[in-house]
Amino acid sequence: MATIAMRAGRAPRSPRAKAVRRTSLIYLGLTPFLVIAVFPIFWMVVTALKQEPDLYRMDVVPFWFHLPPTLKNFDFLFHRTSYGDWIVNTMLVAFWVSGITLLTAVPAGYALARLRLPFAENMGIAIFMTYLVPPIILFIPLARVVSILELQDSWWSLVVVYPTFTIPFCTWLLMGFFKTVPFEIEEAAMLDGCGQFGALLRVVLPVSLPGLITAVIFAFTLSMQDFLYSLAFVAVSDQKPVPLGVATELIRGDVYFWGSLMAGALLVGVPVAIVYNLFLDKFISGITGAAIK
Amino acid sequence: MTQASAGSGPPGTSLSVPAGPQVRTRAWSRTPTARRYLFGYTLLAPAVLYVGLLVGVPFFFSLYLAMSDASVGEPIARFVGLENFRSALESAKFYIALRNTLAFTVGAAIMKGLLGTTLAFLLMQPFPGRKVVRALIVIPFTLPITISILGWKWMLDSQFSVFNWALSRLHLIGGYGSADWPVWLGQPGLALLSVMFVNVWRGFPFSAIVLMAGMTSVAPEIIEAAKVDGATFVQRFRKVIVPMIAPILFVGSAFDTVFTLSDLSVVYLLTNGGPDGATEVLPTLAYNMGIRAGALGRGAAVSLFLFPLLLPAMIVLLRTLRRRQY
Repeated sequence: MATIAMRAGRAPRSPRAKAVRRTSLIYLGLTPFLVIAVFPIFWMVVTALKQEPDLYRMDVVPFWFHLPPTLKNFDFLFHRTSYGDWIVNTMLVAFWVSGITLLTAVPAGYALARLRLPFAENMGIAIFMTYLVPPIILFIPLARVVSILELQDSWWSLVVVYPTFTIPFCTWLLMGFFKTVPFEIEEAAMLDGCGQFGALLRVVLPVSLPGLITAVIFAFTLSMQDFLYSLAFVAVSDQKPVPLGVATELIRGDVYFWGSLMAGALLVGVPVAIVYNLFLDKFISGITGAAIK
Repeated sequence: MTQASAGSGPPGTSLSVPAGPQVRTRAWSRTPTARRYLFGYTLLAPAVLYVGLLVGVPFFFSLYLAMSDASVGEPIARFVGLENFRSALESAKFYIALRNTLAFTVGAAIMKGLLGTTLAFLLMQPFPGRKVVRALIVIPFTLPITISILGWKWMLDSQFSVFNWALSRLHLIGGYGSADWPVWLGQPGLALLSVMFVNVWRGFPFSAIVLMAGMTSVAPEIIEAAKVDGATFVQRFRKVIVPMIAPILFVGSAFDTVFTLSDLSVVYLLTNGGPDGATEVLPTLAYNMGIRAGALGRGAAVSLFLFPLLLPAMIVLLRTLRRRQY
């Protein structure tokens, strides 16, 4: 009987039609968000690939090319600016910051999570809270530290300063991570004759590799978010990291090298955004894990 | 917690040794507990020292600087008490910066909350291509901030702004040079709106993702249950959805407020506080006073005014972090 009723009306198509309608409504709702989120990137890519005169034409639709696309802007970056140096500096800073962060945050996170120290939880929170102390309060005194260490105008100053936010964040992240490693494997290792330190080194760390990789990723992506410290401490062109270099060296007085600006920004920004994207959920649960559970 | 008693040494031994305090101390330092503590604090030391020396000490040093007349040229500073704070409170510039900071932070937080909530509800629905859409929508948050601001600076260019092109094509505004041609970063009201908009653009995916992380596991079922129980949409919204998302949104906003309040880069790169102080916020004022003008003490004092503004957000976060369970 039901079949007859369904044949009579348009009922058989309806569940699917309903789903299609629902999906299109969702997409309709998401479209403005997608446009707002993605358009700037699209616009930057187009700008980076346009020839100079093509950038400044208001009489034609600017969203596409009216002169053939060019790689001249990228060429300019590598041959007429210190862009190559900036990339090297960024990588070196990232390398050393990650190293310092791992060497300090891994033991600290482990100690706080596993060794049942008195007040461990509160100490963890205290360390994490330092992540929230804004650089704008710290940069003036840190400028003094940098000058005492005679690191002004060198990317090494950033190696010293960036761990002030990567260590608190990664300690907190790793603390949460180490808590998920089962106690049993550590105990088994200790029964087999490892000391506590041996157990950490040979058993806990290898198991925690994903956590360590996450920590390195964040040491890198958080460093890439900095602007203030590099602006305040590094004024020499060939010592700058990419974000600062692009923002300060491609603007000369009132002249903006828009094509090269966008090219230089995207070349580093896009890979960072992709990596960050993959680890975003870890970032969110790292900082809010609290509220959410 | 069972491990705690197993690891802290057999309690029986300490009872069976009838010894004076001295002996007991020595014995305690050899217990597994003591060795574990020693091991633990040794592991903790590098991180604590690093953060203590480069965050703790500088923080207190900045309190000291704020009470001195330190400047870039003169390394020897005199103690001037609260003079720097007083002179800040007496300058019109400071009040403009404070007002802009508050308007900027609150306005942007409301926008991010609204957009983030809408987006979170949309993204929580199952639909084909959801992962791709999500990955695209979080781009503003994951792109390094300096880099996206440069993109915005170009899009808001006084002459070649792509928005102006579009508006002019739609005949909503005249051509370049006409009276209604918006100079986004050059007109006081528009400039403040523009920097706010860029901050919102960067932050709304964060609000959405935080909300989603908090809601995905429970939300749909609870909302469904309320629906089954016959609650109308308005009832569901007021009695179920709002109470459920409010605490999560609160924590997300607290984080975001900390990031927004202390962010220099958006305003510095887009307008550097201009035109005529219309977008001056406390961070740019502190930077320009402390570094550009070289008055370290006064710059430090201005930056410290951020602290009372940050405190409520920090307390919220502190309280939620303490509730963290595993």
